[in-house]
Amino acid sequence: MAKRILVVDDAMFMRATVKRILEQGGYEIAGEAENGELAVRQYMELKPDAVLMDITMPVLDGISAAKAILQADPKAIVLMCTALGQQNLVIDAIKSGVKDYIVKPFQPERVIEGVGKALGV
Amino acid sequence: MKAEHMEPFVSAAFSVMQMLTGDVPTRGSLSLRTTTFTSEQVTIMAGVNGDVEGMAMYGMSTETAKQIAGAMIGSEVPKLDEMAMSAISELGNMITGNATTLISQKGYDVDITPPSVIRGEQVEVSTRVPAIVVPMNTQFGKVEINVALAENTSASSKVA
Repeated sequence: MAKRILVVDDAMFMRATVKRILEQGGYEIAGEAENGELAVRQYMELKPDAVLMDITMPVLDGISAAKAILQADPKAIVLMCTALGQQNLVIDAIKSGVKDYIVKPFQPERVIEGVGKALGV
Repeated sequence: MKAEHMEPFVSAAFSVMQMLTGDVPTRGSLSLRTTTFTSEQVTIMAGVNGDVEGMAMYGMSTETAKQIAGAMIGSEVPKLDEMAMSAISELGNMITGNATTLISQKGYDVDITPPSVIRGEQVEVSTRVPAIVVPMNTQFGKVEINVALAENTSASSKVA
């Protein structure tokens, strides 16, 4: 059975791009969200196998959303996918329990490799 | 505004454009703009805040925006619909995000806000400080990189 991924990004273009990459990589899209608050709600409802999360989003940013998800479910698999590569953000994310940090723009292989490694597939 | 704050945006714009579209841009002559100026037909605006704050803007013609969006999406864009506008907005997000990563490597603590895309000619844009303008010449047309940043003198963290 294909692993299910929740895609979170405020940009419609990025959601479409990431979804296409994941589907071509054999994953199923569990759902999508355009901000961190919706992402947390979707995670609780859909229980995806992993989450691909942007950082800069309105309402609730991705780091805060990732922390909220991991607090509710310490076994959650969250990967950040963002244009921000500041060292302090990367460290904060990894310390919070995020499994990988992918910087945009990225090659599709980087996403597939990151998700596969995080899921152990 | 310091030149060291401008260069990361130019560097990021060139590398992001190349990675997203395959095009290798060339650089035009640098100029200075007063605090109030007219935007191009399509302008992506992103806020920068923290130790360095202000605005980064990327202006282009509608035709250039359609062609860049088409290269990003992978198919022709006959008009700037919601998906094309989202692609253009994301271009601005990636350039600004990558640029602030470079700025942070010099010791500045900076963050960005989600970008906005403004469409329309003869739109006046005001910034707190003058903008340095660098044209980026691409196969799709010209993209003007406008950066209006100032150091936040009230911030507690400073460059070492």
